[in-house]
Amino acid sequence: MSHPVLEVRDLAISFAHPRPAVRSVSVTVDEGEVVALVGESGSGKSMTARAVIGLLPDGAVATGSVRLRGEEVLGLPEEEILRYRGRRVAMVFQEPQTALNPVRTVGWQLAEALRAHGGARGRAARERAVELLREVEIPDPEERLDFYPHQLSGGQKQRVVLALALANEPELLLADEPTTALDVTVQAEILALLRRIRDRTGTSIVIITHNMGVVAHLADRVVVLRQGEVVEEADTRALFARPRHPYTRQLLAAVPRLPEVDDRVLELLAEPEPEGVAHEMATPALEYDDVHVHFGSRTRGRVLPAVDGVTLRLETGQVLGLVGESGSGKTTLGRLAAGLVPLAGGRVRVAGTDITQARGRRRAALCRRLAFVHQDPEASLDPRFTVGEAIREPLDVHGVGTRRARDQRVVELLDAVRLPASFARRRPRELSGGQRQRVALARALTLEPRLLIADEPTSALDVSVQAEVLELFADLQRRLGFACIVISHDLAVVNAVADRVAVLRAGRVVESGPAARVFGDPAHEYTRRLLDAVPVPDPTVRDATGPALREHIAS
Amino acid sequence: MTRYLLRRLPSALVVLAVASFGIFALVRLVPGDPVSTLAGPDASPEARAAIRADLGLDQPLLGQYLTWLGQLARLDLGTSYRIGGQVKDLVADGAVNTIVLTVTALLLAVVVALVSSVLAVVLDNRWVNAALSFGNTLAIALPTFVTGLVLILLFAVVLPVLPAGGTPPDGFIARPDIAAQYLLLPAVCLALGAGAALTRFLTEALRTELRQPYVTTARALGISRRRIVLTQALRNALPSTVTVLGIQFGTLLGGAVLVEAIFTWPGLGGLIEEAISGRDYPLVQVLLLLSVAVFVAVQLLTDIVHAWLDPRVRIGGAS
Amino acid sequence: MSESLIDVAAPEGAAPRPDDEPDQRRRPGARSALRRGKGLAGVLLIGVVVALGLLAPLLAPYGPTEQIPGANLVGPSGAHWLGTDEVNRDVYSRTLYGIRTDLVVVFLAVPIGAVIGILVGLVSSWWTFTDVIAQRVFDLVLAFPTLILAIALTAFVGPGLRTVFFVIIAVELPVFGRLTRTSVRTVREMPYVEAAHVVGAGSWWQLRRHVLPNSWEPLLVQLAVSMSVAVFIEGAMSFLGLGVRPPHPSLGSLIRDGVRNMYDAPFFAVGPLALVVALVLGLLLVSQALAEARRS
Repeated sequence: MSHPVLEVRDLAISFAHPRPAVRSVSVTVDEGEVVALVGESGSGKSMTARAVIGLLPDGAVATGSVRLRGEEVLGLPEEEILRYRGRRVAMVFQEPQTALNPVRTVGWQLAEALRAHGGARGRAARERAVELLREVEIPDPEERLDFYPHQLSGGQKQRVVLALALANEPELLLADEPTTALDVTVQAEILALLRRIRDRTGTSIVIITHNMGVVAHLADRVVVLRQGEVVEEADTRALFARPRHPYTRQLLAAVPRLPEVDDRVLELLAEPEPEGVAHEMATPALEYDDVHVHFGSRTRGRVLPAVDGVTLRLETGQVLGLVGESGSGKTTLGRLAAGLVPLAGGRVRVAGTDITQARGRRRAALCRRLAFVHQDPEASLDPRFTVGEAIREPLDVHGVGTRRARDQRVVELLDAVRLPASFARRRPRELSGGQRQRVALARALTLEPRLLIADEPTSALDVSVQAEVLELFADLQRRLGFACIVISHDLAVVNAVADRVAVLRAGRVVESGPAARVFGDPAHEYTRRLLDAVPVPDPTVRDATGPALREHIAS
Repeated sequence: MTRYLLRRLPSALVVLAVASFGIFALVRLVPGDPVSTLAGPDASPEARAAIRADLGLDQPLLGQYLTWLGQLARLDLGTSYRIGGQVKDLVADGAVNTIVLTVTALLLAVVVALVSSVLAVVLDNRWVNAALSFGNTLAIALPTFVTGLVLILLFAVVLPVLPAGGTPPDGFIARPDIAAQYLLLPAVCLALGAGAALTRFLTEALRTELRQPYVTTARALGISRRRIVLTQALRNALPSTVTVLGIQFGTLLGGAVLVEAIFTWPGLGGLIEEAISGRDYPLVQVLLLLSVAVFVAVQLLTDIVHAWLDPRVRIGGAS
Repeated sequence: MSESLIDVAAPEGAAPRPDDEPDQRRRPGARSALRRGKGLAGVLLIGVVVALGLLAPLLAPYGPTEQIPGANLVGPSGAHWLGTDEVNRDVYSRTLYGIRTDLVVVFLAVPIGAVIGILVGLVSSWWTFTDVIAQRVFDLVLAFPTLILAIALTAFVGPGLRTVFFVIIAVELPVFGRLTRTSVRTVREMPYVEAAHVVGAGSWWQLRRHVLPNSWEPLLVQLAVSMSVAVFIEGAMSFLGLGVRPPHPSLGSLIRDGVRNMYDAPFFAVGPLALVVALVLGLLLVSQALAEARRS
C-alpha cells in the first residue's frame, strides 16, 4: 500500500481564544507502527488526536490536512465523519471510570458499537462481543457481558473501553493517556496488552502521553510537541539516547527516576541502620502506634478497614514517603495525622501529644506545629480569598503578631516559595497550577510547622513543573528542617525527596526502611512488583521487563 | 434492592403516622366548635352533651385518635357532620374527578417535556432553543389562576368552542369525546406549570449528560448524536427526572385545588374547602390525611423507581 | 535547574505557559448578572411594579376603599381608567393599592421565612441531633401540597393577610432549611475548609470566613424563586377567598372580583393580571440570571 495509515500535514487548530491550540503539526503513522505524541499539558497533543477523529470541541477551527490512507478527512461533514469514526479510526480516553455509560451493560455497549457500523446484531453481536472481551483478556467474558461498569475494576473498565474501540477492527487506534488514571501495576498490564494487540492485529497506534516511561515502553517512534508545534521527531531509542532539542532534554531531565540496583545501594546496605539509637534519643515528630481506621458506617452494615494495624515513626527533621496503589490507605494515614479522619483504634502522637486527646489550647498548639498540603492546589485555596489572605489565615486564626507583621510575613513566605510579592493581591483563579501549589506550600509554612503532611503534592502538575516544585520543597525542607510525610503513588517522586519509605498495601505496611534500600533492594515481593511495573524511561530495558510483566498478568 | 426498600419504608410510615396525629390534633385545636355549629346557638346543655357524646368528643384526645385509626383501618370513614352522607362516598366521588384531572395533566406534562426537551437537544438550533426557552419561562411565570382565566376567556367566552367549566354530564366513559372537551381546558391549565418545570429540568439534564465522557466515547465509536440522546443520554437522565416528577406531582395536587375552583370541577379541592368552612371534622381529617398519604406514597414510589433505574443502586457494590 | 521552565518572575503579559495558563476571566458576579440581559429585564419589571405600589398614594385618584357616588360598574373612561366595581370603587386605584399587599408578602414574609430557614439549616448542618429532627419536620411540612397546607392553616387561624404570611413562612422555611443544609455541607467538604480546620480554625471561624461566603449564592437564587412563588400563593389564596379580607385590596382578591364580573366587565382583571405576571416574570428572570451567573 502506497499511502501511510495516517498522514497529518501542517495541522493548525484555533479557537476564539487569541492563542492557537495547535500551530503546526505534521505526523505520519505507518502500518502497524506505534507513534507516541509526547508533551506537557497545552502542547496540543490531545487536540491533534481529536482533529484526526473529527471530535474537536465546538468553535474550534482546524486547517491543514489529515489523510487516512491518502483520503482527506479534515473538514468532512458530520454524516461522513460518522462513517469512518469508530470504523477506521478509534479512540481510547484517559478516564476509564467515566468513559462507559453507567446504566448500560457492557454487552449492550459493545452491541451498540457494532450496530453503528452495520455489524452483527442479536446473537451474532453477542458472540462477537464475547470475542472482543476475550481479545482484551477479560476473564469469563460471557458473564461479564451482563455486568454494569460499576461492577468492574478500573483496569477492567479500560479493557472494555479498548474492546469498544476495537469492535469494528480499526486500522488506527488513538490512545489519549490511556493509563494515566490507573495504578502502576494495572498500567503495566494495559501497556503490555496494547503491544500484544498491535502484534496480533497489525493496528497502528498513536499513543498520547506525558509519561516518558510509557513512551519508552511502547512506542516505535516519538513526536515531541510543545505549545502546538513539533519540536523533535525521532526513533524511540535514538531520542532517548541522543535528544537533539533542548526541550526534549529538559523533559527527560525532569523525569524523576528510581535508583538502579547498582547505584551505591550496596555500600549503603553495608552500614547498619542507626535506628535503635534514634528511638531512645528524642520524641519522634510523628508516631503511629497500631493504628486502625474504618470506613463505612456500622448502621449500614458494612465496615471496611482502611488502615489495619499500622505502626510507624518519623524522627524530627526526617522525610517519610508513603507509597502504595489506590486503596492502600496511604492518604488515610496522612489525613489521620492532620486529625481529619476518626481513629478506630491505636494511637497517633504528634511530637508526643496524642492528637485524639488534644482539646482547646493544646489542640491550638498542636495545630501550629502541623501543616497539611492537599493534592489539589486549586481546591485547597478558598476562591474568595486573595493569595495574601490565604497565606495569612493561619496567623489570623492564632492571632499572631500585628497586622503589619503578618503582612510582612506573607511577603517573606512568597519569597521563600519564589513568587513575587505582588502575587499577594491575586486570586487563586489567576494563578497557574504550579503557582497555586507554591502558594499552598507557603501557607503550610506560615506557622513554621515541625511536621508537614503533603498528600500527592505534585500529582496535578506537569513533569517540568513537578520537578521545580519538588526541588523547591527539598530545599525548604533542608533549610527549615521540618519533619515531613510525603504521600504519593509515584515511587520516583517519593524517591526524590524521602529519607525513609513505607510501602502500603490494603491498609498494612508491607515494608519500610531507608528509601535507597527499599527502592534499590526491596525485601518484599510486593515492593518488587511495584518497582517492576513502573515503566522505566529507557527503551533499552523494554525487552528485559517484558517477561516479568507477563508473569504478573498470569498471577 | 429489597434492602433498599426495607430501609426506605419505615421513614415513610413514620411521616404518615406523625402526619395523621398532627392532622387529628390540629383539627381538634381549631377554634370553632362543631357542636355549636350543629346544634345551633340556642340548644340546651343536654342536647349539646348528647351531640358531643355522639361524636365521641367527650373522650380524651388520644383515645379519640386511636378510635379513629381503628375506623380508618376498617375503611369506616364516618358520616359527614354538615354535608351529610357517608364520608366514604363523598371522598370517592370527588376522588374520581380529581384523579382523572391530575393524571391527565401529569401525562400531558410528561409528553410535552419529553418531546420538547429531546427536540431542543437533538436539533441544538439557536432559534428552536430560544423559542422553547421563552415559552418555558412564560409558562412558569404565569400563575395557574391567570392561565385558567385566559383559557376560559379565549376558548369559552371569545371563541365559545369549549365548555367553561364543570364535569362531562355523561361521565368519562360513556362519551369520551365529550369528556375530552370538558377535560381539555382544566388539564392544560394544570399541566402548564409542571410541564414547563419538567421540560426545563430534562433539557438541562440531557445537556449535562451530553457533556459526560461516556458520550465522547460513544461519539468516537461513530454513533450519531440523535441515537446517543435517545438510547443513552435519556436513559441516564431518567432517574433524576423521575424524582423531579414526584415533586411536581405534589405541585399538581395543590394546583388541582385551584384549577377545580376556576373550572367548577367538583373534585376533592372543592370538598376540602367546603369541609373546612363547615368545620366538618371527619371529612377534613380524611381529606388531609389522604393528601399526605398520596404524597408520601408518590415519594416512596419515585424513590423506588429511581433506585430501580440506577443499576449502581439496584445491583450495588463494586466488585 | 538553570533554565527555568516556569518563569514565575516574568512580567505579566508575557506569553504564559499554555496549559498551566491561569484563568484570567473575571467571574461574573451576581451584581453584574443583574446589569444585563435577562437580569436587567427582570430588575426593570420588578422596579416598575414596586414603584407603582410605593407611589400609589400619589398616583391613585381615589382611596382604595372609597366609594364614588353614582359610579356603579362603569366601563373604562378618562375618569376611571379601569372602570368601577359593583360597590362604586375605582378599580385603577384599588389595583395600585393592591400592589402594596403583595409587596409586603414578597419582601417581608419571604425574607422572614428565609432567615429562619437558613438559621435552622445552619444549626442542623452542624449538629446531628437537630438535623434528624429538622429533617423529619421538613419532610412533614413538605408532604403537604402548598395550597392544601394553606387551606388547613386557614382553618386554624381564619382567613386574612396574617394567614398568607403564616403559609408563606411555613412553606419557605423548610425550603431554605434544606438548601442551606445541602450547600453548607457541600462547602464544608471542600479542601479549603479542611485546610482551615487543620491550621486550627474553629467551627465559628470556618463558618464565618469560608462556609457562609461560599454558600450564599444558591440561597440568593432561591430567594428570587421563593418571592415569585409568594406572589402566586397570595394570588391563589385570595382567589380562593382565604387571603386578604375585603374591603382591602390585593392583586389576588382583585382578580377574584374580576372573575366574578368576567362576563359583564372583563376589563376588571386586566390590571391585576398584568401586574401579577410582571412581578412573577421579573422575579423569575432575576433568578435565572443569577443561576446562570453562578454556573458559568
